[in-house]
Amino acid sequence: MLEVREVAAGYQGNDVIHDISFHVDEGEAVMIIGSNGAGKTTLFRAMCGLSVPSSGVVMFDGEEVTGHPAQRMVRNGLAFVPAERHLFPRMTVQENLSLGSYPKRPDQETISVVFALFPRLSERRRQHAGTLSGGEQQMLAVGRALMSRPRLLVLDEPTTGLAPKLAHQAYEALTVLRRQGLTLLIAEQQVPLAMAFSDRGYVLENGVISLEGTSEALAADPRVRSAYLGVT
Amino acid sequence: MTAIILDGIVLGLQFGLLAAGFTLVYGLGGVLNLAYGQMAVISAMVILFSMNAGVSAIPAVGIGLVAGGLLGLIFDQTILRPIYRRHGEARVLLSLLLTLGVAFIVDGFLNWRYPTAGLTVGIDGGPIEILGVPMRRGSIVGSVIILVVFALLLVFFRGTSLGRAVRSVIEDEEGARLVGIDPSLMLRIILILSGVLAAVVAVTQSMVRPVTVTVGFSITVLALIVTVVGGLGSVTGAFLAGLILGVISSFATARIGTFLSLIILLVAAAITILIRPSGLLGVKE
Repeated sequence: MLEVREVAAGYQGNDVIHDISFHVDEGEAVMIIGSNGAGKTTLFRAMCGLSVPSSGVVMFDGEEVTGHPAQRMVRNGLAFVPAERHLFPRMTVQENLSLGSYPKRPDQETISVVFALFPRLSERRRQHAGTLSGGEQQMLAVGRALMSRPRLLVLDEPTTGLAPKLAHQAYEALTVLRRQGLTLLIAEQQVPLAMAFSDRGYVLENGVISLEGTSEALAADPRVRSAYLGVT
Repeated sequence: MTAIILDGIVLGLQFGLLAAGFTLVYGLGGVLNLAYGQMAVISAMVILFSMNAGVSAIPAVGIGLVAGGLLGLIFDQTILRPIYRRHGEARVLLSLLLTLGVAFIVDGFLNWRYPTAGLTVGIDGGPIEILGVPMRRGSIVGSVIILVVFALLLVFFRGTSLGRAVRSVIEDEEGARLVGIDPSLMLRIILILSGVLAAVVAVTQSMVRPVTVTVGFSITVLALIVTVVGGLGSVTGAFLAGLILGVISSFATARIGTFLSLIILLVAAAITILIRPSGLLGVKE
């Protein structure tokens, strides 16, 4: 479904990530793990059209989409939830969700799917997004992305700033989405949670992919165990 | 007293309208359009020349509104192109320089070719009495037009999905892109809208006093002051700030003198910045 080939990207001519290649197949949940500053956000921004890769190719559904702007990617079925969420703070929860399906009118069915997944959003639908708690904002960011009825949902550190209990709940919601057939790509620092959730993973270190494999294989790898799982 | 307040409200509605088209462009695109007043003057001249060519007033005003929208579109497609490629402070500075250049050229040309031209849209009939105060019919008609325009803007921004999309870009440009909104398309729509609003400014002002080729900069300066007080990117803020400043200005003119009213407006703007740096209803950075 998604294929990234030899992508390099960075800021103002200085590449932060180099020669990144990976793929996500339909129905999979794939994680990209790495520490702070490893280049996860740079990779996702370049891949999802918020910046332009300096080299390499991004394919989505068999078509080349390298450098397509984010507004085009989301209409083609790739929705991205950045770590900073980028909600519309002075608009209500309802308005944020409605804009998620732009330019189409929000359909009631998708709204009820989102409210069933996050009942809290339904309770706060008339509240401004800026007044929500961190956990609720994350729910809204995911909910807004779902309103575009994506086939691939890309999440950058969905548990950033969330208490452990809320982080668990976030992954429970993602598990529900998986069961409904959504393909997921997640960058995460909270490696144990992501590992239990995903089929496969890649380890991003200093801007390059240093390891890849099934989640079980990665969980058994001594380097991953010491660096990301806190097992010595 | 009542008369001063009513005068202030009439003036304040004009102020609010001036700022609406100006603040939207700044809030959405980070572009300070110092040629905004000249856009209004050009529309006024289009209406004047249409009327001189024998077109009656209402169709001529229609032509003027279309011309205003077209001017906005031309701005978006020409001098704003290099501005859009910059970001942050560089964008604001470049927009100041380029639009100021356009303003000088337009002013120079109009002063050279049509030094005495002035648009007056006469509203027939005597004064209308409101709360016992006789008000000029032109002021009342202009105020009603402005109220209708603000109501339409409110419906557009709150009630339509296109209006919400425009607001979302003001709120968070990256967030807007992530839901499939093209910010440059929204900016084009807002430039056209701002041009039409500038034309409405010309029309409503011409009902009270002639809109001559020299009023461009004073329109821009007032728009800038009201925008600062109301908050960047907020139409409601522009409306409120316009009313407040209008009443202040009216009191200043009546009690102190016309020569000081602009200075008093500047002081009011300065105080607002000190107390609320983002304006009454502006986006907090």
